[in-house]
Amino acid sequence: MASIKLNKITSVWIISVLLLFIVSIVLGILMRLNQGEMISQSPITFYSNMTTHGLTMIGIWFVAGMAAVNYIMERYVKTSYTVNVLALVLTVIGILMFWASTFIGHFHSAWTFLYPLPFKEMGSETWATLMFLGSLTVLGIGWLIWSISLMTQILKKYSIPQALAWQHLRKNPTVETPPFILISMITLIGVIACLLAAVVLLVLFYAEYFSNGNFVNDALLMKNLTYFFGHTIANEMLYLGLAVIYELFSEVSGRPKWKTTWYVALAWNCTLVFILTAFFHHLYMDFVQPQGFQIIGQLASYFASLPAAGVTVFSIFIAVYRTKIKWSLTNLLFFIGVIGWVIGGLAAVIDSTISNNIVLHNTLWVPAHFHTYNAMGNVLFSLGFFYWFSIQFSDKTKIKKSTTLTLALLLIGGIGFLLAFYIGGAESIPRRYSIYPSELSIGASLATIGAAFASIYFIAILIFFFNISKRCLKILFSSS
Amino acid sequence: MQQQSIFVLFLVLAGIATIVFTYIFISSKKAAAEEKGMSNPLKKRFWFSLILFVILCIFITATIPKSPYYLFADETPARVIHVSAIQFQFILSEKAIDPVNPSGESHIELPINELVEFRVTSLDVNHGFALYDSSNRLITQVQAMPGYVNRLRYKFKDPGEYKILCLEYCGMAHQVMRSSFMVN
Amino acid sequence: MFKNIVFIILTISFLKTSSAQTVSPSLKEESDIYEKIYDAPLILDKNQPTPLHELYNTKPLLVVLIFTRCTGVCNPFLLRLKESLQFKAKKDSFNVLVISFDPRDSIKDMNLLARRFALEDNNQWIFAVTDSISKLNQSISFYPIWDSIRNQYDHDALLVGVNNEGYITKKLIGMRGGHDLDLLIASVNNVFSPTYRLPNKKVLFSCFNYDPKTGKNKLGLGLLFIALPAILTVLILIVIGFSVRSKASELEESS
Repeated sequence: MASIKLNKITSVWIISVLLLFIVSIVLGILMRLNQGEMISQSPITFYSNMTTHGLTMIGIWFVAGMAAVNYIMERYVKTSYTVNVLALVLTVIGILMFWASTFIGHFHSAWTFLYPLPFKEMGSETWATLMFLGSLTVLGIGWLIWSISLMTQILKKYSIPQALAWQHLRKNPTVETPPFILISMITLIGVIACLLAAVVLLVLFYAEYFSNGNFVNDALLMKNLTYFFGHTIANEMLYLGLAVIYELFSEVSGRPKWKTTWYVALAWNCTLVFILTAFFHHLYMDFVQPQGFQIIGQLASYFASLPAAGVTVFSIFIAVYRTKIKWSLTNLLFFIGVIGWVIGGLAAVIDSTISNNIVLHNTLWVPAHFHTYNAMGNVLFSLGFFYWFSIQFSDKTKIKKSTTLTLALLLIGGIGFLLAFYIGGAESIPRRYSIYPSELSIGASLATIGAAFASIYFIAILIFFFNISKRCLKILFSSS
Repeated sequence: MQQQSIFVLFLVLAGIATIVFTYIFISSKKAAAEEKGMSNPLKKRFWFSLILFVILCIFITATIPKSPYYLFADETPARVIHVSAIQFQFILSEKAIDPVNPSGESHIELPINELVEFRVTSLDVNHGFALYDSSNRLITQVQAMPGYVNRLRYKFKDPGEYKILCLEYCGMAHQVMRSSFMVN
Repeated sequence: MFKNIVFIILTISFLKTSSAQTVSPSLKEESDIYEKIYDAPLILDKNQPTPLHELYNTKPLLVVLIFTRCTGVCNPFLLRLKESLQFKAKKDSFNVLVISFDPRDSIKDMNLLARRFALEDNNQWIFAVTDSISKLNQSISFYPIWDSIRNQYDHDALLVGVNNEGYITKKLIGMRGGHDLDLLIASVNNVFSPTYRLPNKKVLFSCFNYDPKTGKNKLGLGLLFIALPAILTVLILIVIGFSVRSKASELEESS
């Protein structure tokens, strides 16, 4: 049962995430407007904004997932309020340091900060790179403590095999592991692994930074570590959202609670292996990477879709098909989010095919698929939780006409914005270009269209922000 | 054109997924309280997963042999072009490029229908060596990583001007880092 | 062991004195790849000129440039090469052609050299001189400089890989370890590698080393760094798992 303190800290998380989301969307729209030649930013401003947009988005949706998981986990085990607050404080400090490095210091190596670019930037302040690395350190420490703390609390009640639901692989398990605990445990293991990869990466960055040229890193090793961290954290934040769906979908729908079965246990344990090895697909075009690792990348990326589709998505099918459901905004957002996740997954599997990647790598296809995963997938998972949380202490449950309108704006805006990216990818338009070459002028037209649709999406988000934040502020300042 | 087929495939699959989800949603809206939902869910789940597994295996078997790493490995190239990428230009030369004083040729002409090998490296940060044909379509690419040489082998089938664009974000002038060569 | 130390000291001192040639080694190694080596008329044991192509058409070649009056790197270089090649796999897949670039050297001088290294009866090693040395040097970008004070040539310790069609496949400046020699042997046998590392002293870690013997990648130290996060995570999981359980059972016992 959530305590008053947990309700309040969760409210703070929700409001902070939504505020930062709004700022980030604005930066994104400005980027597309610049690419559409509707406004003119200097390249350094564009690329600093791109860096800010990228890391802020990943950061906020990661902490949104963690906050949601922390909140729900209180139903099963006692979680640490101190650690929750510490994570919030360090996240805020980390984000402020990061924004200082980009907005003031003009750090512009993109959120992937691919070695050795942070050391070879031109036009940024001398302190910007160190400030950026410092901000990642602060964020990493906060998030690592939080994940280890949550994992520890699970392990206080469940042994390692129980937390991983291995007993469900046999008949008649004596202890029941709720799906939420299983998925949280699997996801937290992945989160800790990728944050530790970030630790190793940062240590190597600092070692070179402070060695005055005596120690030079190997570019291939650094790229592997960068994507082990980056790809994995982006996927784990999706799975944090799924953990919440496994817990809340049936509850909100007024249906029996989902249980862990042998195939749920098997699927999620397999997912852990796939999620930790799929990152190799970011190095397909680095021929220096051994071919064995390239093939592992394609196999892991392909087979990661099996547990996702065969277990999670099919469970949604079973839960909804010809079943009278109490549809509310919460489960509707979850449902639409799963569609977005599936469609993003289709684009991802296509791109993770090596022979396709040669004509898709670093084109707009890449932002197309990950924006689908996020803007129409993970964001909706989190919004579903935010809405559900915010209405707990009020009596809003029916879907009003205005809700339908907001959802329509979200869908129309989202689909239009994403299609502009997909068409751009099919037209070989490069990603991460502040402006497009004249021969690829279709890129500019697509960017303008994308910005227009993103603005429609933005309006929907603003509506969500006002409604949810209003209720969360009430929770925050109430005495009970 | 490969990219067009990919896009069409994606639209078809996304369309099917949307239709399936919409159908399932509508079936829920129309469902009466006593309806029991999906019959034989475990069996249907098994078949769904099995069919997906088979489709994935077919694509894996069909696509992995088409990977670019060992294309034309048994042939000797007719021309070798050394490429050194540096913020923010591509230096191309028939001769090896001195990393200390890099210089190349201003005009490169390559033969048609003969094997060309690009030996690509970077002198500073990661860059992307991406070739676009005269209809502005991306035809092949390889990364340029400092400290390593990547060998990209290709046979040009059509004459014309080919552009090289940098496809790995490399800093403030990434968007104007380009070069070109002719194929005759 | 002692020979290695002597060789290393000589190589370092030799490379330091070749300050006139301050061109980067990676540039010198990259030049002339896939160009044809000049088909020089060689004077072998039989004193009849044999064109170079007759040798490389029979078997691919590792071409070594030395001169017999060398007091610098040539002798330790040849000795090291001989010892390294003894233990190589596929050593029957190539021959070693030792050519003198000094016009004063005759085939008699080269035969004496062969005897000094106990290689006069070794069919894999071919010793030769040529009258067309300047054209041969040009085709492999080898430019020895005569030092009139020391009465010696200042030159690179150069090894050139030539395949059986006469194409230069790889060059090595200085001896850079058995692994690089393996790559050279693989290249003359037309074994394709899509990538290779450039020489760089400062990089401490690397993920993989391509092993042309097996055609696979050997694990380098860098791979440990990629596996480290996963290993640490498993350790953390186990440590926390056991410590919280033992605390829980301690509490149970005490209550």
